[in-house]
Amino acid sequence: MIRRFFHQAYLYHKGRSAAFHAEEFILMQLGYPLISLIFYCLIASYSFRTDNLTAWIIGNSFLLCTHACIFGLGIVFDSERYFGRLRSILSAPCKKLPLILANGLYSALFAMCASGFGFLVGSLVFGVDFTGVNLALAALTIVCAMFSATCFGLLLAMFGMISDSMHFILNLVNGLLMIFTGAEFPLSQLPAAGQLLAQILPLTKSIAAMNLLFCPDRGNFWPLLAGELATGAVYALLAWGFFGFVERCARRTGKFDLF
Amino acid sequence: MKLAVLYSTMVLQMKKSFVRPMFRFCLLANPILNTILLYEMFRTAGEESFLAYVVLGAGLMGLWSCICFSSAGDINRERYSGTLALIFATPASFPLIILGKIIGNTLLSLLSLLISLVTAVLLFRVPLSIGSPLLFLAALAGTVTCFVVISSVIACLLTLSRKTELYMNCLEIPIILLCGFVFPVSILPPAVQALSRALSPTYAIELLRMSLYGVTDLRLFWEKFGIMLAITALYAILSGLLYRRIDRRVRIAATLEVA
Repeated sequence: MIRRFFHQAYLYHKGRSAAFHAEEFILMQLGYPLISLIFYCLIASYSFRTDNLTAWIIGNSFLLCTHACIFGLGIVFDSERYFGRLRSILSAPCKKLPLILANGLYSALFAMCASGFGFLVGSLVFGVDFTGVNLALAALTIVCAMFSATCFGLLLAMFGMISDSMHFILNLVNGLLMIFTGAEFPLSQLPAAGQLLAQILPLTKSIAAMNLLFCPDRGNFWPLLAGELATGAVYALLAWGFFGFVERCARRTGKFDLF
Repeated sequence: MKLAVLYSTMVLQMKKSFVRPMFRFCLLANPILNTILLYEMFRTAGEESFLAYVVLGAGLMGLWSCICFSSAGDINRERYSGTLALIFATPASFPLIILGKIIGNTLLSLLSLLISLVTAVLLFRVPLSIGSPLLFLAALAGTVTCFVVISSVIACLLTLSRKTELYMNCLEIPIILLCGFVFPVSILPPAVQALSRALSPTYAIELLRMSLYGVTDLRLFWEKFGIMLAITALYAILSGLLYRRIDRRVRIAATLEVA
């Protein structure tokens, strides 16, 4: 069962990456996200007139995972439909949750690598100082953030069953994450409704927790991390419940899409 | 006859582009999201930056995204639809049809500038004032020409590639960064600035910004305009050469399939 899970995860990854050479794959997974990180840090250095870009390196390093978690996972069911496998998946007498999680495994791993690489490049290019930062807690924060973002990506993937405009939805969500997670500017600048929305979205609490690691007083670090994990768990449950609903509808109506 | 082909291709392309969810995102949602994000980032940078960096930056980012995700991928879409061979062999001339598609996309994409402006005025009450309106129109016409030509070069380069989607994604942010869409290129390292100076959009954006502030040095304005046109002419020659090479290769190999 576990072996099949990892084999399935590898096959999904192979299906997504087989068309690319290694250097193209690295460019896609690391190169492009890193250029995005540098771009937004340059905007911040110009607009906020500052050389201390620690907060933006943290925020944008976390946002690097959106490429893998949001776009990689969000398009899963759209791709299954495109390749004609949706019928087999829905009608197969196997549990669907491992299948969905297998789809996200490699995406989450690459997302963690991208985030870690973002911090590395941030420290090398923009001189972010990691001395005094507890690296074990930093790694734990990244893992929690990726868990939450991956679960959010799985929920978004379900929208592929009710909409044929996944590229629109995923890019819109990506834009909203940039505005509402506090990665690019302090959340206090947002109106009250915006700040509330920020707390529902993934990554907001991880970014705040990671920022705390650079401060002498860690204050709310553990509650923030617990909040991020809880946010991820809620998204995972929603994704699972939603898939069950879609599956029942598909069996009842004989159609694979709800649109 | 040629104008009729150009016009009908433009109109058809606008209709085809608008039904695609990704294009609708780039055209409608992207300028709104970017305007909000940039406004919040530039809030402390002073009012004079809003029109020149927030509105213009967000609008041009939307325009460039539309070009990346449409003009660059249109040949691939024709291949997928099975119509590439037909339009390649048609007596109306393949480059003319591609040019019609690119002009149609670029003109429709100009809407992103308007959406960005309306968003900034309605949401943030950004004051609207153009220092040199006539020169702004001249700069805008130059910008459109420059984007049309650069799109044709990209379209030619991607004609025989099976990885169009990868390159489309990888082109977006680097060009926005290098050409200084949202910050002056002077903040980039000197070596990178040299690269920026080889790209015609860099001059187009500087001209637009100069005319927004009000042109005080007419000679400098026309000098930059001349450089932009010269580089654009070089791109046009490159595009022509590329097309001839591809045409020859396609006729020898008797296929338009990917390399």
